[in-house]
Amino acid sequence: MNKEKTGFTKKELNAISWRWTLYRCICFNYEKMEAQGYLVTMLPAINKLYGGNEEERKLACRVHNEFFNCETNLANLILGIDLAIEEEYGSEGLDMSRNVKTSLMGPLSGIGDTLFTSVIMVIFGSIAVTLALQGNLIGWVIWQIEILLETLWLRPWLIREAYKKGVDLAGNISGKLKALTDCGSILGLTVIGAMCATMVTVKFGSVAFEGFTFDFQTQFFDAIMPKAGSAMLVALCYWLLGKKVKAGNLIWIIIVASIVLAWLGIIVY
Amino acid sequence: MLSPVQIILFTLIAAINPVERMTVHLFTHNVITMGLICGLIVGNPMLGLLVGATLQAYSLGMGSFGGSSIPQYEVACLIVVALAGSSGNVETTIALVGIPVAALTVQLDILARFLNSFWNSKLTKEVEGNCDPKVIYRWNLMGAFVFSATRWLPVLICLLVGPNLVTILGNVIPETVNIGLRCASRMMPAVGFAILLRYLPTKDNVQYLIIGFVLSAWLGMSTIGVTAIGVALALMAYKAYRNKEAVQEIRTALEDEGGNYDE
Repeated sequence: MNKEKTGFTKKELNAISWRWTLYRCICFNYEKMEAQGYLVTMLPAINKLYGGNEEERKLACRVHNEFFNCETNLANLILGIDLAIEEEYGSEGLDMSRNVKTSLMGPLSGIGDTLFTSVIMVIFGSIAVTLALQGNLIGWVIWQIEILLETLWLRPWLIREAYKKGVDLAGNISGKLKALTDCGSILGLTVIGAMCATMVTVKFGSVAFEGFTFDFQTQFFDAIMPKAGSAMLVALCYWLLGKKVKAGNLIWIIIVASIVLAWLGIIVY
Repeated sequence: MLSPVQIILFTLIAAINPVERMTVHLFTHNVITMGLICGLIVGNPMLGLLVGATLQAYSLGMGSFGGSSIPQYEVACLIVVALAGSSGNVETTIALVGIPVAALTVQLDILARFLNSFWNSKLTKEVEGNCDPKVIYRWNLMGAFVFSATRWLPVLICLLVGPNLVTILGNVIPETVNIGLRCASRMMPAVGFAILLRYLPTKDNVQYLIIGFVLSAWLGMSTIGVTAIGVALALMAYKAYRNKEAVQEIRTALEDEGGNYDE
């Protein structure tokens, strides 16, 4: 059923994107995660689309109060598609909306988390940290600019594009973005490899018997591979996380292990 | 010693931080920014920068994937700058106070998200009932107060107990434990990186990890250099992917042709 096009203006779409930024996570809880954020973001749109019809409005509110969790930036794609659907089909499109939300929130989270947190943040962040430790703020400034661009430009752009392309976009998403994610991961992994070497420090101590000292660090590990300790530690943490050790616990494990090993002299500062 | 004004400012920042990091995302993960602001409050921006950058390194690449709780190094940064400003020894403070605080913030974050379920049930009731937008909006906002409280309350307590804390801890804790904690702080980034590696397709792409590590460990290449190489590698992979796609299309087209020909 084709409703009369209510039409969302560029200004309204930008406003919705900004609402998402403001309210998406403010009441995050484990039951429904970002559902409330989604609902509150959509409130003005819901009023606009279903203003006259109280029943439709309530139904829309109910549908948008369902479980939602997606990466912040790419969620704008879902919002845009959702708006396009509801504008086209009205309250009968709410089922389609629900399907789009549930099917896209997973993959988009995967892509978004990889791209924005694992790649972009790591790269900008590591440059900023390296420069900042030398007292130089340029890296930090660039990073802040990137963050501002993401929030103020990228998200509104995503929501407008998704709204324009509408339902078709849902199909296209799997294809091209997967290739981009995989390539983004490659970049991310390379940089992380470098950072494991620079930012993690593990120095082994030496063992002393009568008149004979054997310095593990310089005579053993360094001879084979520089930064061997760092590599081993990251590998160990990776493996422990695979064994379902929680991150919070892992931190305490490292702290305790570090104290014990330092006391035994196996690790030195 | 921290003046009351400083304590109030710090508490305010602690209150704003969780709300800000959940919404506008401007200072989120940006421990350096936090460090600068806190440094300004104690009158030593360079100290703030140093602490911020050090702690930022620990939290790079950690994100709340799927709503998980991560250590909040911004809060740790705030406490470390506030307390180190008066005790002076940065490394010790980071080790003794910063890391444990960061580990504790995980628990606090979980608590906040857990408590927010309360607002959720109120909001859902409203949706099922009157569905008044204003009321819905209000219940959503309440989450802000919960997040906020789980930060500024502990921070305030910590600051009031405060500067004595580091000295007391320093005296009470034996030197070996102290060294152990300092070693631990240098090992912390490994946890962050390991979490990150869990979310990336590491198993299939270990070769890139190795390349990055070798460039840095053996050749001493700077991060920007490694990034450039990483971009080159990613582009090569992308081109290979597109070529594979093109070959696939040609193959499909030929198969179709073949079918028609037989007729």
